[in-house]
Amino acid sequence: MLDQRRTYGHHASQFANNSPGLMDTTETASPLNLGQWEEALGLIAINRDKSAYAGLFNYFAPRLKAFGIKMFGNEQQAMEMVQDTMLNVWQKAALFDPTRGCASTWIYTIARNVRFDMLRKKQSRKDDISADDLWSDGDYPEQEDLQSHSWDLYIIAEKIAPHFAALPPAQRVVMEKVYLEENSHQEVAEQLGIPLGTVKSRIRLALDRLREAVDGQQR
Amino acid sequence: MGNSVKHHPSLSLLEQFCDGSLTPEVALLVATHLDFCPHCQRLSKDIEADLACSFAAAPVAAGQDDWLSMMQQVLAEAETTAKPVTPSTDPVVTNLEVGGHQFELPRALQRLSSKRSKWLTLGGIATARLPSGEPHHISLLFIDKNTAVPQHTHKGLEMTLVLAGEMVDEQGRYVPGDLIINTPDDTHTPRNVSDDPCLCLSVLSAPLQFKQGMTRLLNPLQRFFY
Ligand SMILES: [Zn+2]
Repeated sequence: MLDQRRTYGHHASQFANNSPGLMDTTETASPLNLGQWEEALGLIAINRDKSAYAGLFNYFAPRLKAFGIKMFGNEQQAMEMVQDTMLNVWQKAALFDPTRGCASTWIYTIARNVRFDMLRKKQSRKDDISADDLWSDGDYPEQEDLQSHSWDLYIIAEKIAPHFAALPPAQRVVMEKVYLEENSHQEVAEQLGIPLGTVKSRIRLALDRLREAVDGQQR
Repeated sequence: MGNSVKHHPSLSLLEQFCDGSLTPEVALLVATHLDFCPHCQRLSKDIEADLACSFAAAPVAAGQDDWLSMMQQVLAEAETTAKPVTPSTDPVVTNLEVGGHQFELPRALQRLSSKRSKWLTLGGIATARLPSGEPHHISLLFIDKNTAVPQHTHKGLEMTLVLAGEMVDEQGRYVPGDLIINTPDDTHTPRNVSDDPCLCLSVLSAPLQFKQGMTRLLNPLQRFFY
């Protein structure tokens, strides 16, 4: 966690000269700026900072729209989801906890929940299962996952090798960098321009997927 | 060790849970499993982080959208809605009584349990439906001690999550948190062979069909379980 903190600090210094202009829609595949959005949420929560919100809005709204169109298949509902999600972001910014994950994960899960409840409402099933029933707001206690450690040792076992190629590309790249090229998690995060937490997540997911594949083989 | 969760949802089921694409009933079953299972809680947090990273890093084409006016609309709306979080008015029920027994409910079911239908009882078995739509039905299923659900097969999917007590079938023994998935045409006889009552959460996509001898007479009652 300390490492991640330091990363926030380091990248936060880029915030001032890197802040996107609000109507600058000539968007490119800019790499995710670590720490920038966590910082923005903090400013929104504490200062009700509208320029921080504008930067966040400008970056995430188009991405939320793309996500919404993928999930709903139409633009009108996608835009409704964007608006409702961004309202939640403004109102609930104080609930964001950077020690539990990065800003984009928080925003993504809000959008997922908004979309889920929109679908229910559309079917007039308001008494029904709601997003709040399904996804607790990250209030599970942190767990030490001992299994991941023991699996580190198994990774060299030959029976895992054939399943390596079948991993989703994003997870495979991280695994190769960590286990074959022996980079630290922090180095991999920097090389790929992704948050440290995501590197760790992808490793755990890949290990679990490999375990599932090996289990299936033995059955 | 003997009582820890052993039967988990597959990774692909967890992924669909995390991106919100499961039907509400199956999603509720997975959410309830998570209440019992630290391992899958951790995995689903990891999946969310992974999905979100791809979402946030995705390039987007320049569009015609007027984000500035949407943002102003959002801020105006925020001014008028004073309370940021509307608290649910539904009662939260942490305990459930059935068959003369008290059960503690996992978090995912605490709000919904007040919306269940009346218990229907047949021998040592009772069911109550939770709010659900098509194509899946979701119910609470109570199985008294030393009681079997008659052997049956399903035209559709059957998913069962043990909430309390324990159950056995032809495949094994299940404890609270264990998720049992039966695909169409699997035939099985879930039983509670212990001296304590068992409570399960059950998702069905079609009525059960009973197989043997006298229990075939139950077929007219098949909707009881559905
Ligand atoms: Zn599990």
